[in-house]
Amino acid sequence: MLRLFTNLWEKFKEYIILILLILISLILLTQNQSAGVKKVRTIAFGTFASVTSVFNDIFNTSSIRRENENLRRTNAELMLQISKLREYGIIGEDLKEMLALKDTSNLPLIPASIVSKSLSVAQGTVTVNTGSVDGVKPGMPVINHSGLVGIILSTSENYSIARTLQNVNLKVTVKCERTGEHAVMRWNGESLVLINIPKTYQIQKGDRIVTSEISSIIPVSVPVGIAADIGKVETGIFNEITVIPFVDFFRAEHVFILGIVKSKQIEDLELNFFNK
Amino acid sequence: MRLQFILAVLFFFPVLLVQTTIIPLISIGNITPNIIIILLVFYTIKNGQIFGTLLGFVFGFLFDLITGSILGSSMIAKTIAGFSAGYFSSETKRAIYLKPANFSLIVFLSSLFYSIIYSLFSTLDFTTTVLNLLFEHALLPALFTAVISLFLIFFYPKRKLF
Repeated sequence: MLRLFTNLWEKFKEYIILILLILISLILLTQNQSAGVKKVRTIAFGTFASVTSVFNDIFNTSSIRRENENLRRTNAELMLQISKLREYGIIGEDLKEMLALKDTSNLPLIPASIVSKSLSVAQGTVTVNTGSVDGVKPGMPVINHSGLVGIILSTSENYSIARTLQNVNLKVTVKCERTGEHAVMRWNGESLVLINIPKTYQIQKGDRIVTSEISSIIPVSVPVGIAADIGKVETGIFNEITVIPFVDFFRAEHVFILGIVKSKQIEDLELNFFNK
Repeated sequence: MRLQFILAVLFFFPVLLVQTTIIPLISIGNITPNIIIILLVFYTIKNGQIFGTLLGFVFGFLFDLITGSILGSSMIAKTIAGFSAGYFSSETKRAIYLKPANFSLIVFLSSLFYSIIYSLFSTLDFTTTVLNLLFEHALLPALFTAVISLFLIFFYPKRKLF
């Protein structure tokens, strides 16, 4: 018997090892949400990110000049917009008071820099140099000057990993700014799409898509992208709309984390959905 | 052999550092080369199939942990990539396989296997067509990786370093 096993091992050891390792991988694939795995992951990326941040700073220096030019231009454009928005602001304040709406203009912004990126076609993630010490928590939205970048997935003491919009596991509730129609947006491995859109929806090519206030993960309107391609589904009642994101995930370097503190109950409910 | 394995695992970290900081700067659209696969193929050709399979497993495990990917997805893909590259690790033909054109072709094949399996396990989106999966998710990144590997192996010093 032992000889038989020895012979089998000698003949097929490469295949036996391969099958064993694949089995272990498959088992681990089902353990992604376990507390142990999360803890190990936090330690691993926290340690690696501290090295990456030093390395990343060297490369960032060269891009500062280009970024400054962009910021100056953005500042000028914003200055023009501000004067217009001031007028609207006065009207808005009056209307808010009348409707007793909550003020969302003073949300806490936690500045952060992206220290590493894993931009695979299906699972885009970025590591940022702020962590639980700075008040970052899983589920907080990550934004930059262009719009929504992603959602914090996991935090260590000084670093956090965020799923970018280019991650198949991230679903965000969004709405069309013009029509106010709500939809769920996800990355299908190829492009951002609004899924299960009833054919009666009025969303058109070129419409701005922003995050929806009905989501308690991102309870403020953050720009997401532009509706680009309206699917033409012949059968069925639902459609798909492709969205071109405002954020260039490959070039994004500096971001802000919206430090929104929600009620524990809402947070738990939303995170259960987010973790799926 | 054991020292070689430890060296390869240690060498993984600076390569991952480059993969996550510099490589995104040279990406074309959504197509990003995978230099970790190049390292894996290189060590597999030099040390054999079992070595490559185990190394792929460890690389995948570390990659999944550090980058926040679904734990297990990259492990399976890299294990199979290492295993497939192992078919080109014959001791008598090692020097031939490490020639730039051959090496690049092996990297292309391994990268193709890796990308297909990784996409299958990480995307799990059945709306993506097989043709799209093969072309955009696998063929183009594999081709890009093969081109990068051609440069790397071309400038690899003839004297033994690792």
